[in-house]
Amino acid sequence: MDEILKFKANDLRAKICSGEVKSLDIIKSCVTRIKRTDLKIGAFLKLNEAKSLEQATYSDKKIKNDERSGFLEGIPIAIKDNIMIKGESMTSASKYLENYVSPYDATVIEKLKKSGAIFLGRTNMDEFAMGGSTETSAYQKTANPWNIKYIPGGSSGGSAAAVSAGMVPFALGSDTGGSVRQPASFCGIVGYKPSYGLISRYGVCALASSFDQIGILSRSVKDSALLASAIVGKDYRDPVCEPKDWIDFVSYIDNDIEKLKAIKIGVPKQLFNYKIDAEILENFDKAVNKLKFSGAEIIEIDIQAYKYVPALYKVIMCAEVSANIATFDGIRYGYRSRNARNLDDEYTKSRTESLGYEVKKRILFGTYVLSAKNYYRCYHQAQKVRTLLINQITDAYKRCDFIFSPTTLQMPVEFGEVLQEECDIFLIAANLAGLPGITVPFGFTNSGMPVGMHFMGSRFSDVRLFQIASAFEKISGFDVNKYPEL
Amino acid sequence: MLREELETIAFLAKIEIKENEKEKYLKDVGKIVDYIEFLQDPDTTNLKPTTHVTGLRNVWREDVVKACPKEIIDMMLDSSPEKEESFYKVKKVISD
Repeated sequence: MDEILKFKANDLRAKICSGEVKSLDIIKSCVTRIKRTDLKIGAFLKLNEAKSLEQATYSDKKIKNDERSGFLEGIPIAIKDNIMIKGESMTSASKYLENYVSPYDATVIEKLKKSGAIFLGRTNMDEFAMGGSTETSAYQKTANPWNIKYIPGGSSGGSAAAVSAGMVPFALGSDTGGSVRQPASFCGIVGYKPSYGLISRYGVCALASSFDQIGILSRSVKDSALLASAIVGKDYRDPVCEPKDWIDFVSYIDNDIEKLKAIKIGVPKQLFNYKIDAEILENFDKAVNKLKFSGAEIIEIDIQAYKYVPALYKVIMCAEVSANIATFDGIRYGYRSRNARNLDDEYTKSRTESLGYEVKKRILFGTYVLSAKNYYRCYHQAQKVRTLLINQITDAYKRCDFIFSPTTLQMPVEFGEVLQEECDIFLIAANLAGLPGITVPFGFTNSGMPVGMHFMGSRFSDVRLFQIASAFEKISGFDVNKYPEL
Repeated sequence: MLREELETIAFLAKIEIKENEKEKYLKDVGKIVDYIEFLQDPDTTNLKPTTHVTGLRNVWREDVVKACPKEIIDMMLDSSPEKEESFYKVKKVISD
């Protein structure tokens, strides 16, 4: 593997600034790496080779003339295929959007363009981000770079695999119920989901609007902070996006393990109610000991409503899915059936012929819980249980600063196998309560698969979350320079 | 879940389910329906439902029409499966 690909985004940034490394060389190395390894992995749906090389040449010229436009000038990034880039296709890995061309830039893309980042390509995902394995993509499978027999996780599986395999320093994903953090953990990298409302979702294909956030996949906590700094900010086009000021997250990251002293870390006792992979548990115990050794206080917290998390999430997420996906009617854009006789038929056939099984299943269940007969019993009740969960989590934060757990309860499975319902329970809790969460790679199993640990903070504690995560990254002993053999 | 229930929600959601697919949907959607049953357990009498976590209320903007550049209008129309001049073209609302 090319040495240049081993640099973190922050290092690349410094080296590009000082003229030590050229953007063109970085892009060329990434393209070579992708061409050499992605046939095996399938992380990318589309590679923007020519355009990226052209942009890199332009970036180099700007840097030479001291006209750097932003702080990601010349640095490549991969974008999950549900975020709009003006004039480019965006499929959300669905047949429905096969020929769709985005008429405008998502806010995050607008910001990244200003920062000078180069969009290397579009990454594979579960169809409309519905899934946890990237297997529901209508186009291709993505394999886990650490062992291609296994799933990379999902729904941002393409982004996770691309970063993990050293094809690109970092990538954007989206996280509705762990869709950034779960694949990041399965692929041995950092995955960050911001507090709900911190980063604009304008121009992102919606899944479940009361949970959706754009997230970041990177090789280090500092790289996540760098990318977060580039995309954070208030946006009137996403009404829930409300940060007051721009935040320079990266300036707060100092890998200072002193920060672990005097913090209180809560471990939910509910963790032990589930079937947890023995090696994950072993790693978790080690992680807790390392945190203790660094001066953190570990306390047991009791959040009884955790047991409702997967069920509650299914009800509300599917209800929101059924409403959001109603926009796909085959009229203004997307797939249109040629077999319809009248307008009503056109709606039904266009949807039926182009949407995948998982999407239809969620629409049907969502329609079921929203139908007059079941609305109060299912949907309304789930919203109330959501309040119960939020109240209990809020109470827990009176006693601790962060909630700590293994990222997943299970290791990645082989293709075609199904993860248990509770696998991502600690990730989904963050979406249900609108809280920030970050997974940091911690260790490896005996068979060489990576294991991640997850910190969840209180709402808008993202700066402190990054600090604690970077300190944890330092004490973890995880070798970030170890790449899967491909 | 009953077969008639499935047929009704599929009709509402504008999704066609073929006869030979019905069993699979019944089984898979039915499994979720059964799974969520224990959400009835907690006493939620005094709890308000959470629709979102922001605490924001009625985020409005001024009701002003902003002109959309022609380039964008053309791109959006070009995304349509069928168009005529500056209109989206659809099937007859009532069939013959």
